[in-house]
Amino acid sequence: MKLKSLARSLALATALTFGSMSGGHAWSLEEAAKPYAGTTVDVVFLLRPGYEAIEAMLPEFEKQTGIKINIIKHPYENALGEQVRDFVAGGDLDAALIDLVWIGNFAENDWVVPIDKFTSNAELADPELDMDDFFPLVLNAFGGWNGKLYGLPLDNYSGLLFYNKCMLKEAGFDGPPKTWQELKDVYGPKLTGNGKFAYALQSKRNETQSADSFARVLWPFGGSFLDKDFKSNLLSPESQAGLKFRQELLPIMPEGIVAYDHAETVNGFAQGDIAMITEWSAFYSSVKDSKTSKVADCVGIAPEPSGPAGRKPALGGFSLAVASQADEKEQAAAYLFIQWATSKANAKEYLERGGVPARKSVYELPGIAEKFDFVPALVESWQDGVPEFRPRFAEWPEITEIVQEWGTKIMLGEVSTEEGAKELGTRMEAVLEKAGYYDGKKPLAQ
Amino acid sequence: MSIATGSKRSLTGQCILLLIILAFCVFPFYWMVTTSLKTQVVALESPPVWIFEATLDNYREALFDDGVLRTLGNSIIVAVCTTVLAVVLGLPAAYALARFEFRGKKDLWFWFITNRMVSPIVLALPFFLIVRNFGMLDQHITLILIYLTFNLPIVIWICTDQFRAIPKDLDEAATLEGASQFRIFAQICLPLAMPGVAVSSIFSFIFSWNELMFALILTRTNAKTAPAMAVSFMEGYNLPFGKIMATSTLIVIPVLIFALIASKQLVRGLTMGAVK
Amino acid sequence: MFVGPAVISLAVIGIAPLIYAAYTSFHFFNLTKLKHVEFIGLQNYAFVLTDGVFWQAIGRTFTVLGMALPVQVALGLVIALVLHQPGLTLLKTLARLGLVLPMATTYAVVGLLGQVMFNQKFGVVNQLIGFLGVDPVNWIGNSFNAFAMVIFWDVWQWTPFVALILLAGLTTVPGEIEEAAKLETKSWLTVLRYVQLPFLVPGLVAILILRTADTLKLFDMVFTLTRGGPGSSTELISLMIQRVGFRAFDQGLASAQAIILLAITIVLSQLYIKFFYREV
Repeated sequence: MKLKSLARSLALATALTFGSMSGGHAWSLEEAAKPYAGTTVDVVFLLRPGYEAIEAMLPEFEKQTGIKINIIKHPYENALGEQVRDFVAGGDLDAALIDLVWIGNFAENDWVVPIDKFTSNAELADPELDMDDFFPLVLNAFGGWNGKLYGLPLDNYSGLLFYNKCMLKEAGFDGPPKTWQELKDVYGPKLTGNGKFAYALQSKRNETQSADSFARVLWPFGGSFLDKDFKSNLLSPESQAGLKFRQELLPIMPEGIVAYDHAETVNGFAQGDIAMITEWSAFYSSVKDSKTSKVADCVGIAPEPSGPAGRKPALGGFSLAVASQADEKEQAAAYLFIQWATSKANAKEYLERGGVPARKSVYELPGIAEKFDFVPALVESWQDGVPEFRPRFAEWPEITEIVQEWGTKIMLGEVSTEEGAKELGTRMEAVLEKAGYYDGKKPLAQ
Repeated sequence: MSIATGSKRSLTGQCILLLIILAFCVFPFYWMVTTSLKTQVVALESPPVWIFEATLDNYREALFDDGVLRTLGNSIIVAVCTTVLAVVLGLPAAYALARFEFRGKKDLWFWFITNRMVSPIVLALPFFLIVRNFGMLDQHITLILIYLTFNLPIVIWICTDQFRAIPKDLDEAATLEGASQFRIFAQICLPLAMPGVAVSSIFSFIFSWNELMFALILTRTNAKTAPAMAVSFMEGYNLPFGKIMATSTLIVIPVLIFALIASKQLVRGLTMGAVK
Repeated sequence: MFVGPAVISLAVIGIAPLIYAAYTSFHFFNLTKLKHVEFIGLQNYAFVLTDGVFWQAIGRTFTVLGMALPVQVALGLVIALVLHQPGLTLLKTLARLGLVLPMATTYAVVGLLGQVMFNQKFGVVNQLIGFLGVDPVNWIGNSFNAFAMVIFWDVWQWTPFVALILLAGLTTVPGEIEEAAKLETKSWLTVLRYVQLPFLVPGLVAILILRTADTLKLFDMVFTLTRGGPGSSTELISLMIQRVGFRAFDQGLASAQAIILLAITIVLSQLYIKFFYREV
């Protein structure tokens, strides 16, 4: 009896102290979620490791909050179309999964709600949210548009060089190439032959062609899609140097590289047929797993090679944002889910389950860099990068189709790099003209 | 006599040819089924293996974890409903085309047939926009209706021929006895046209079951059909061939059985529509 | 009265969308820019009509037809003639059943199956031609091979259809005439040319019409097999329209393309009916 009342008063005292600290009451997920128990949040996920990781952690969230997360899975290739069709029809989605190149589109259509609506709401915002803990580049590029923040980064990528240590050693190399030139001229010839290839650059005609192939050779050579007036910059000597370099890579790559998507590339690497690939950090788990990879013990990881203009690794990744078509309750529930999924506290578990969090703190934890040997390269590449690696404006979905079409035509040799770039530039500028960038109707933001 | 001497050789030749035809038709199915029984590691073996330890994991995963079962259910609902609707709407029209002369009959016939030729993508774009305005995306009824655009012409085409084959004397006799036009249709001609109805229903079912493009564009989750589901396994990150083939098998087996049971009529149906 | 319901429903579902498509085609109408829908007159049409890429896609579509159809007719005729011979009843029944299978197969599954069987590394096709001493072929990654692969699957799926229609045509040849002809000459070719062919003509016409329609519509199989790739080497017209409308989201442009395709289809079916199909 006595003890119990003591305990009670103690509890009361602690509550009071904590309450006064956080300005009113102690925040907890359970408490914050109470009004929203039973709410269902519809969200699109991809069939990729970073989403499986969240899915595995989800029961804990649902138990704590009573919020039900309804996951609709799509392959990446369909994810944009599915979401656009949902949003234009005023559909069911309560959260949007946004690839960094879609952010302009989603923001300009007001399909997503700026995140400060929720972060400024003390009922919902976790005091531990700590926005400064996100890598600034990642946070702004993946979730921000035109000075406003919409989404929090969930599934984060940086381009990395995966290399087969054993193959390189056999060919007499102690480490990976530092520059693109070195990769092609020094490593290329020695590692190609007998059905093996030095390198593979996934170039299938979909977002892979634009993001993984075209843009990847553009930037390190000093090229870019657009100049400062938003005219095509693809005919500049630097852009042309990059595109020509890609053609020169063809002899050290497998035949039919224009049909290679991530799966084929990673598979070729995992089977030991390809010595080096430049792939997203997200593939780490699959090439290191001896169940899916024959070369698990030989995997080495380095930052992408640099070009004359420096190291410009590919940048890609997804943020989750609250959908404006959801009602207030669903919005709040969706925010709680997003906040939880991207939180500092969950970053370690997310990483261990195969995801790649964008939280600085988790990579500083002892033992992490040793256990996940992609971490140093990843952290380095997120220090500074090109947010407009692919322009993030609303016109990207149209422009990427043009890049995909003409990019593959160039690779297949159907047109020269100049002809292809010229045609691509004309078509790209037509889209931008229609959008109103040239008559001052639209700010030049990418 | 000269035919008889050469006939042994020609019989062996025929035999070989027939076996080649059979193998050509059946082998892809054999490969589909065996691949569906392979684990991912075995499926990616190079060169491909013919003898391996079979597993049903792909089916279990696809059916229950990934929700293929539900999409199969959707496919059945859509295919059955649209078939019934097509028959109900198409039969009277076919009867009229076969029996009556009226103005614009030729144009009407031509229009029905042109409908058969129009590429679905031509309809898919505006249909999507219209359906979006009515908030009818991702519902069974939407697919059921749009599938009428190809099922109705088929029913009309096949059943018109069937009605034509029924002697007109029967109608005339009934008219003399004072039967109404509708009674003649319902009680005399319809029973005789049943084979045509059966064949066109089968066609209609198979075409609806197999349709992909509309399903891809007009559904998302609730009304997603099985073919649309099979396609959504194709992710650039990882191609689960075993699972894709398991889903494919589940989609294809029902239509194949259906087509085999009705194969005699199916052939007749094809020729009925195509050969005058 | 009898025709009413069918006409009305086809009009509502089949014609109304076309009118709407015509309306969209005169506008700048992008799904991701619904705030900026704007009447632009014939600009979309002007773009499509002068767009080499569009006409290439049309050209590819007719190339598929032009290459697949002769093969289908030739193979189909052989199959029909074999099945028409007397004897070997059991085997022939089996073969007929076998022929039904490809036709009924879901088109999307054919494409998926094609991906599995024609894969360069673990595909069974390369293994089989390997037994014949042929080096592995890069089917999916090479423009020419990918196109050949699309034609292969079209032939696989639709030769049985052609064969069965021709077989039905052969059975309409009166038995006595055929017997008499066979006694006259040993050459089956002569019999085919002078006795059987006239009975095959209606079937061949139907095949021409139906295959033209189906090739113009061909989407599912190619979509799942190559998605139009590599590059745009297998991008047929319906794939292209789908891509413009639902991946670049430019519904206005895609509608203009669709309307032009529709016009081509109508002209073609008018021509066919005028030349071949008078007796309706």
